[in-house]
Amino acid sequence: MATLYTVLTDFTQWLMDLIAAILDWTKLGILSDLGDWLQSAPVVDFVTTLLVAVIYLITVMMFALCFIWQERKFLGRFMDRRGTQVGVLGFFQNFADGIKVVLKEHIVPKDSDHALFEMAIFTYLASTFMLFGCIPFSDNFYVIDVNLAVLLGIAIFAFGPFSILVGGWASNNKYTLIGGMRAAAQLIALEIPLLLCVVSVVVLTGDLSFVGIVAWQEENIWLIFPLCIGALTFFIAAIGESERIPFDLPEAEAELVEGWATEYGDIRWGLKMASDYFRAYILCALFTMLFLGGWAGPEFIWAEAWFLAKTFIVFFFFIWVRAATVRIRTDQILKLGWRRLLPLAVINLLIAVALKVAEVF
Amino acid sequence: MRIEERTYTKADHLRPTGYVLKSLIVTFKGLVRATKNRPCTVLYPWERLVYPDNYRGRPGIVLERCIGCARCARDCPNRCIEMVEVELPAGGKAKRPQVNVGRCMMCGNCAETCPVNAMIVTPEFELCSYSRADLIFDPVKLQYPHKPGYEVNYEFALLSEMKKGGEVRTYAKNDPNVHDNVVLDAPKCISCSRCAKTCPAGAIEMAETGELNPKTKKPIKRPKFDTTKCVVCEQCIEVCPKSALSIKEVL
Repeated sequence: MATLYTVLTDFTQWLMDLIAAILDWTKLGILSDLGDWLQSAPVVDFVTTLLVAVIYLITVMMFALCFIWQERKFLGRFMDRRGTQVGVLGFFQNFADGIKVVLKEHIVPKDSDHALFEMAIFTYLASTFMLFGCIPFSDNFYVIDVNLAVLLGIAIFAFGPFSILVGGWASNNKYTLIGGMRAAAQLIALEIPLLLCVVSVVVLTGDLSFVGIVAWQEENIWLIFPLCIGALTFFIAAIGESERIPFDLPEAEAELVEGWATEYGDIRWGLKMASDYFRAYILCALFTMLFLGGWAGPEFIWAEAWFLAKTFIVFFFFIWVRAATVRIRTDQILKLGWRRLLPLAVINLLIAVALKVAEVF
Repeated sequence: MRIEERTYTKADHLRPTGYVLKSLIVTFKGLVRATKNRPCTVLYPWERLVYPDNYRGRPGIVLERCIGCARCARDCPNRCIEMVEVELPAGGKAKRPQVNVGRCMMCGNCAETCPVNAMIVTPEFELCSYSRADLIFDPVKLQYPHKPGYEVNYEFALLSEMKKGGEVRTYAKNDPNVHDNVVLDAPKCISCSRCAKTCPAGAIEMAETGELNPKTKKPIKRPKFDTTKCVVCEQCIEVCPKSALSIKEVL
């Protein structure tokens, strides 16, 4: 990010200078002061960060859109058919769908809680986009690299079920309410094994930032080998967390229309649908960084390319599981979460602690 | 009566081998197969399946053969065939079938029932048009170059043979054992010879019976049916003023 950041800093500096010069030309005292303020370091920093964030957001969104395309094509092959055919290899299907949902009307149900209805989808999408910022592409292409990035990411992720529940309740519809309740139950049941797997990684690496975790794996070993039980648990829990088949109870089309998002239309629904894939992308990226060594790899291609390639491979397994399995019942999900995954995660944590105590690495 | 409570058996558990692993293997095989070979779907406008030789698309007509018996119009289950007048190339006018393809269900019944194989089935099935009027095919538009295999033959088992096993056989269309016959109720006949004039196949001949009319002392003529020529179009029955003719069904 260093080079991009410096380029953008220069650009922002030039832009602010230009604006200040124009404001100076007016010979008005207040405007000249405003121009001076615009040239000050904090403002330039802020604008530069904003520009970086926008560029990063668009990049990640484009790659996350590739996930939808990948899912369509692979599911097609799994079902012995071709996937979508719109545009070059069917890639423009996403854009066609996007244009369609943008042109739709925004409808708020009459008896719904209007403020909460609007806020819930907003918080859901905002938390998804905030997560993008937490996921680095490589050690020099990222938005933030705080010391507690893992904790921050998981904390933001845990905000999802809350907005789902609120959105389901605010829509004032039986389907959305059931979907919201299911989502809350399922996501909490699967979040704890997920977190325990992350904790085992943190215990072993002794670092809470993604860059540190990946650097540790580059030095020692990809964590999927010592922590294979944890990787499996994390994978299953990740499928449940991203509400994908076989754990897509919150939006079981056959039973609940569209689950908690039944009442949402227009671009809100489009972004919600896309954000399912964005979250799947985030979970794939987490898996890549925690267990597959992130962007570590032979240096004949960029580190970012390694990272993306691994993420896409992990998502292939997501698609494979979707094509192979059928939706399971609520009690089965809860049973799986509490009785199977949680013990596995604890065993995995014990292994991590044992490895740490024995100082194997 | 004690209602048995459904309890979890061992198979109901989410066992990794049964529920997940097996289905994963099966789907992966499908993926490899569909990637190595081509998927079983057909990209329709660009790719087409080879249709069989006896494909039943829209009906077509060979106008030179048509005798205008209107059996197709009578037998059409959707009532989409109508007899309209067209000018013949030899001069004069005659009734020929016009098909409303928009209503046609392409059963091929008209081709099967046609006694002279003038109605045929064609391999044409892409019949979209921008207006319903375009879907009404008049006899000229309905024409289609004939190829062997387009006609539909009589292939069935006779009802009378059903008890013996009912073997399906191909019959000639003019086989008098297969098609119904027209019978005359002689005392009703007034010898008007309208049936002979209407018959499109020329199967009716007014023959002298050898009797003389006691009043006019002229020989009495009665229609005589040539069963090999008769196409059972029932036009003579419709035209008979005294209802002297009727169909005798063959079984």
